[in-house]
Amino acid sequence: MRLYEYEGKELFAKFNIPIPEGRLAASSREVEAIATEWNKPIVLKSQVLTGGRGKAGGVKVVENTYDAKAVAEKLFEMKIKGFPVEKLLVEPKLNIAREFYLGVTIDRLNYRLVVIASGEGGVDIEETAEKSPEKIFRKSFECDQELYKFDAVEIAKKLGLDSDHVKQAAQIIMNLYSLFKKYDAKMAEINPLVLTARGQLIAADSRISLDDDAVFRHADLAEMGIEKRHEEGEMTPREQQATEWGIPYLDLDGNIGMFPGGAGFGIMGNDFIHYYGGKPANFMDSGGGPSPERLAKMLVLLDENPNVKAIFGARFGGISRCDDFAKGVTMFLKEHGLSKPMVCRMTGNMWQEGVRLFDEAKKENPELFEHFEFHGIETPIEEISKRAVELAREAEGGK
Amino acid sequence: MAILVNKDSKVMVQGITGGAGSFHTKRMLTYGTNIVGGTTPGKGGQTVEGKPVFDLVSECIEATGADTSVIFLPARFVMEAAIEAIRAGIKFVVVIPEHIPIHDMLRVRKEAVAHGATVLGGNTAGIISPGQANLGIMPDIAFTPGRVGTVSRSGSITYYIADTLTRSGYGETTCVGLGGDPILGSTFDEILWMFEQDDESKAIVMTGEIGGVYEERACDTISKMKTPVIAMIGGIFAPPGKRMGHAGAIVEGKMGTAKEKLDVLTEAGAHPAKTFKDIPEILKKLGV
Repeated sequence: MRLYEYEGKELFAKFNIPIPEGRLAASSREVEAIATEWNKPIVLKSQVLTGGRGKAGGVKVVENTYDAKAVAEKLFEMKIKGFPVEKLLVEPKLNIAREFYLGVTIDRLNYRLVVIASGEGGVDIEETAEKSPEKIFRKSFECDQELYKFDAVEIAKKLGLDSDHVKQAAQIIMNLYSLFKKYDAKMAEINPLVLTARGQLIAADSRISLDDDAVFRHADLAEMGIEKRHEEGEMTPREQQATEWGIPYLDLDGNIGMFPGGAGFGIMGNDFIHYYGGKPANFMDSGGGPSPERLAKMLVLLDENPNVKAIFGARFGGISRCDDFAKGVTMFLKEHGLSKPMVCRMTGNMWQEGVRLFDEAKKENPELFEHFEFHGIETPIEEISKRAVELAREAEGGK
Repeated sequence: MAILVNKDSKVMVQGITGGAGSFHTKRMLTYGTNIVGGTTPGKGGQTVEGKPVFDLVSECIEATGADTSVIFLPARFVMEAAIEAIRAGIKFVVVIPEHIPIHDMLRVRKEAVAHGATVLGGNTAGIISPGQANLGIMPDIAFTPGRVGTVSRSGSITYYIADTLTRSGYGETTCVGLGGDPILGSTFDEILWMFEQDDESKAIVMTGEIGGVYEERACDTISKMKTPVIAMIGGIFAPPGKRMGHAGAIVEGKMGTAKEKLDVLTEAGAHPAKTFKDIPEILKKLGV
């Protein structure tokens, strides 16, 4: 769960990491009021859950109070990588002498926590790591290990500070490490950590990502207004609908509706379609043992999507049973109806029973099965993928 | 032979009295898995499917000689359950639930390494040595005893691969599910090396997916192995920056693209497969 800059800074303040005086504004009028009150050069920072906002023009320095409202209005009209700017963080412009980088993250490969420091801040740390790795210092710790003062001093010294400031920086490093562990963070970055002309170290930006799966043990976050959020940019209306129904779903730019079972084959099935010359219109994950209602909803999403020209279905009955799967699909055929060609394969638990149920339903209502082809274990999944690509091509008029 | 679990493994279930715990205990027993008992704190003295329930893992070990544990508990209780099992002397722990907090899993891993234990998961469908033992939630229908090992992050892919191996006559020694969570108890390289020591596993199919770093970590091991490895990676055409189902399955920046994973694995000596039907063809060429 990614935090907004201002939320991260609230956590910084809680852990005695110095931050600039700042106020949140939701309208250009509010920005104007703050600017008038302060009457000094300010920075307007778009609050969005994505990186690269500076490059995208989402951060503006306003030297003259009279310009604040107009600059804010422009920012509020922006979308940064699909995220609309709804809030601005207003801060006094800092008089910057130097910029540094500090971060704590998890080294998943080695199961350790890592503190990263660099004398060059304010830039993309991954880029620095690639271009000049010698400018980055790393020190790793066991997941339950303390970070002692001497560790922090060792790291702080790598920033190239004089001894007075090394002590200040070491304290910030220790506090950042405590915050990281206390809140189950995946990443906590200060970039840049700024040394002002007056000799103060201040966290000028925050980038914090918490573990969604551990939010339950941090009740105080909700009190601060920090709650689970959608952080992958704007959702399409269908993605929104799927989210409401609790179905992991993504719109893609092809024309084959994907109805593939679990996430693992959901990912790989998309590749199969590409290998046979087609393009999926979506990614979807049924979850384990989906109910007939859920299966029907998944099919509704695909059938009502005008981009979808054909539907690819696959079910490997594990704990879930293929007869239940057949019931769900038949329910959809009866209640909603299928307006597009669909090819589907069932194998695994009770697949013969699934095929039998389809056969039976087809005898009763042949018109419902006009566009629906079903297969059992004898047809390899590769053939089904190929068939879906063919069906989509035919529906597009042979293109 | 098989790796990690076989017909002699003495398996206990943590959370045996819960809905999922008791349901899957029955399934695992039906398959022939040697389930010896289980735990639920506060329910010691009861039985599930005729197997004794204890309050503590140590009591279960003392009474039954359990050496392996399968955990069916809500994610928030997994860390303590796994550490309890490891400290009591269990050498193999399978974590079925998903969404285990990352910092919890780091601790479990540390504990496992310190005690020489192996942990699978979280978010794994489990592990099966066909004809011997089935731990977790995998359907037995796809599996048959044979001579190829498999290791995968995803349950559904494990079923497809095993189904392919079964129908092409190769069968499986052991099929291992690493799990779909972002931090995993075991990694590809560790499981591959276990298969390398197993004489009956004549080849290994590893299937990974976009996101994370665990596939790349296998390269060094693959280059040292005599047993051939067939590699398949899901998500070659996945859009970057979008999460596809598994919490771990997201391409972050330049890290974790499927193409890159497959390239480095191939460079290390693995045989790349595009779709399932390539697998028996490659095995045939390799003379397995």
